[in-house]
Amino acid sequence: MADAERGVTGLQAEGGEIAARSPLALFWRRFRKDRVAVVSLGFIIFLILIAAGAPLVVGLVGIPGPTVQNLSLTDAFGSPLGPGSGHPFGVDELGRDVMARVIYGTRVSLEVGIIGTVVATMIGTVLGLIAGFYRGAIDTLLSRFTDVVLSFPVLVLGLGLGAACGVRGCAGGLIQPGLGTILFIIAIVNWTYVYRIVRGQVLSLREKDFVEAARALGASDSRIIFREILPNLIAPLIVYSSLLIPLNILLEAGLSFLGVGIRPPAASWGQMIADATNIFQTAWWYMTFPGLALLLTVLAFNLLGDGLQDALNPRSGR
Amino acid sequence: MSHLINTRVFAAVGLAAAAATLAACGSSSNSSSNTNTVKQLPLKPGESPSQQQMYNGKKGGTLQVYNQEDFEHLDPGAAYFSVDYEAMYATQRPLYAYMPNNDTLAAPDLATAQPTISDGGKTVTVHIKPNVMFGPPVNRAVTSADVAYAIERGANPNIGNAYFGPYFGAIVGAEDAKGKVIANGGPIAGITTPNPTTIVFKLSSPTASLLVGALSLPLSAPVPASFAKPMDAKKPTTYGSKYVVATGPYMFKANPKTGEFLNVGYFPGKSSVLVRNPNWNAKTDPRPAYLDQININVGGDQTVIGRQVLTGTNTMENDTPANTIVKLAYQKYPSQIVFTPGAGDHYMAVDNKHGPFKNVNVRRAVWAAIDRTAVVRVLGGTLVAAPMTHFIYPGVAGYDQSGGASGPQVPWNVNPAGNLAVAMKYMKAAGYPTGKYTGSATIQYVGENAPTATARDEIGVQALTALGFKVHATYVDQATMYSKYCGVPAQNIDACPNVGWIRDFADPQTVLYVPFWGPGIVPTNNSDWGQVDDPKINAAMDKAALVVGDAARAQAWANIDRMLVDQAVAIPEDFDFQPNIVGSGVRGISDIWDIGTWDYSFSSLK
Repeated sequence: MADAERGVTGLQAEGGEIAARSPLALFWRRFRKDRVAVVSLGFIIFLILIAAGAPLVVGLVGIPGPTVQNLSLTDAFGSPLGPGSGHPFGVDELGRDVMARVIYGTRVSLEVGIIGTVVATMIGTVLGLIAGFYRGAIDTLLSRFTDVVLSFPVLVLGLGLGAACGVRGCAGGLIQPGLGTILFIIAIVNWTYVYRIVRGQVLSLREKDFVEAARALGASDSRIIFREILPNLIAPLIVYSSLLIPLNILLEAGLSFLGVGIRPPAASWGQMIADATNIFQTAWWYMTFPGLALLLTVLAFNLLGDGLQDALNPRSGR
Repeated sequence: MSHLINTRVFAAVGLAAAAATLAACGSSSNSSSNTNTVKQLPLKPGESPSQQQMYNGKKGGTLQVYNQEDFEHLDPGAAYFSVDYEAMYATQRPLYAYMPNNDTLAAPDLATAQPTISDGGKTVTVHIKPNVMFGPPVNRAVTSADVAYAIERGANPNIGNAYFGPYFGAIVGAEDAKGKVIANGGPIAGITTPNPTTIVFKLSSPTASLLVGALSLPLSAPVPASFAKPMDAKKPTTYGSKYVVATGPYMFKANPKTGEFLNVGYFPGKSSVLVRNPNWNAKTDPRPAYLDQININVGGDQTVIGRQVLTGTNTMENDTPANTIVKLAYQKYPSQIVFTPGAGDHYMAVDNKHGPFKNVNVRRAVWAAIDRTAVVRVLGGTLVAAPMTHFIYPGVAGYDQSGGASGPQVPWNVNPAGNLAVAMKYMKAAGYPTGKYTGSATIQYVGENAPTATARDEIGVQALTALGFKVHATYVDQATMYSKYCGVPAQNIDACPNVGWIRDFADPQTVLYVPFWGPGIVPTNNSDWGQVDDPKINAAMDKAALVVGDAARAQAWANIDRMLVDQAVAIPEDFDFQPNIVGSGVRGISDIWDIGTWDYSFSSLK
């Protein structure tokens, strides 16, 4: 990034004096004013802690683990018992504690959301940088390929891959059943959105003076791409990634709902919701709690994304 | 009831594969012990199906049926599905048919009496009623030639019949010496019609008993050759999908001149309408046919359908209601639900030929470990299922002789709730000193991807995990599970939970033979899912197939059942009971010989 630009932006008037602030300090100053975003960030940190310490949390609450079956907690018709002191969120049709499964489901959602987003962002960024920087035939080829990938119906693709790779994996073991399949689907589909954003930005940035200057100084293409252009993409990438995470969480939930995703007995919110549909009228809690967890998590990431957008790009004027 | 439906389909495929080597069996009639007053049910709302009053219904009215599933085939030559049978036995008249409350002996329907068996079980003679008429547009009397054509077309590949080989393959000229079906829809030498009311079957082996049992299947319902032959020349035939001719009390609403019922009385995936067959003669038929019309609506959410039926008046559901609806009906509408035992069984097929389950003691250990009472709970409780304790299920001859509800009293079977200590004892006997599996194999476990099915399959995973196995569980749709994995031995799937079986007619051979007879294992569409191929069991089955007499056959197959338990060839899960619901204004009569579905020809409005 051009140091001159950063310096001008960093000048702030306080008490009549000019104080220099780093971009990070400026970002934080703006971000913390957005209370909704801060609360969302706090909730996400809370989720991450819950996910990381799931066994500990379940132990502290005093509930059985997420795969412990106890059919004595179902009635004579096989209907699960509702929330009570021993099981605050009730149990499912196998007598498993719903709270424990919601807690462990947080792990799956965050793993898929974050890992999937990181992988998709990396692929999209690299390809977007190459297409935008070199333009011409490479750009055309990559952009048309992107159009093709974008035309895939994601859920149908997921169902197909789930069927093809569900038992022993496929592509020589590259795609493993369960979480591996989900991450693969997310990666091969969602990089395209990142690609388009990055490519557009690079097409603009490559014409800037600082790029011309670097070129004039004899910088190689890779240096220009990764040392000059890429740092200028950090802000939009952060914003877009934060918005991609909830999409990926929802996609995982959708695929798990359709039976393609995480394999039982591992807990996933989408799968829990799917399992709950046929007994919703007698076991409302089974769908409600994972549904609520999914709703709040997606909402938190979306609100955080908006907050990041405002803080990183104050001129966007939301 | 999809599990049973599909089981039937896959059973058929397996049967076809095994047909080549079906051994002989000789008996003069069907056999069974009536065990349909099963004791496990704590309470049975409504009328007990085995004691139901089949007659004294009110004549007239229109019944509204709400089903989740549509028909698969409406050609009597191809129908092999419980929902299809609901329409088949209302619109067609096979030679023999079971009365709703009798699952032991098929009564003469088109036939005048029970068949005559002669020539040491190699000849079967059936006389048919002379005054049974085809419905529009054929409008003439049925002859024995129509029955002959109906059965012969079962070998026509354009028809797609699934059981011709195993049940009719012994007819002279139907198969070659190697057991391959050589008939192709044309005349079969072993079927003759000396006069319009007599049909004679000559068999190449003394298998009259099996053939007689199979004459209750829809394939023996007459088909007018002059009408159907041009259609049967096409692949697939349009008989049954576009045109069909009725002989039963009802017919699909159709164009009276052409007989076309597609998009007239049958809208695939949506609805169908059964109306009275104007040519039906009540004097020739034991079925009362009280209803004037039956409207069948297809599709929708199971719980919505269930509520619609229970709160309705002239309503009926004729496939399996959701668990929540069973509970609701039992608690709030007890007179509108009945439970029929003898609706099949489910078990976990384990690979007897490869991997850890090759060892009989490992199989016994898993049997001892699995909590079958938990399976029952997941399925909806003891109203709809009971712990499976052996392989002949309630209602099938030999059930009592092989141990009844509690089954053979061997250590791995006596505790339906599972006993890990006993299981570990057998693991030790299998060579695992700690009582837990210490090998390197990961169990490939392929189950069905559906809410209740997956839940029940997880009980199996828990049993395996408790014994130290690392389980790679995958859940796919039911068709994929059978066609791509469990029915393909080369896939080396170690365990397939929730596979099941249902009889085709009242003979225990139809329950045990295909799923456990080793020589019947085929590379694809295999129905011996566990690749059970025990020479002693194979020989015993071959011998039992030739046993004559109801009691003797029941005992012979019960003995085989005990052998199967002793070798723990599969891991039992549950015996199924079928719940059926109706609206408050319907007097439903259920077919206990099938899986308890309502019989349109006997049900009536109040």
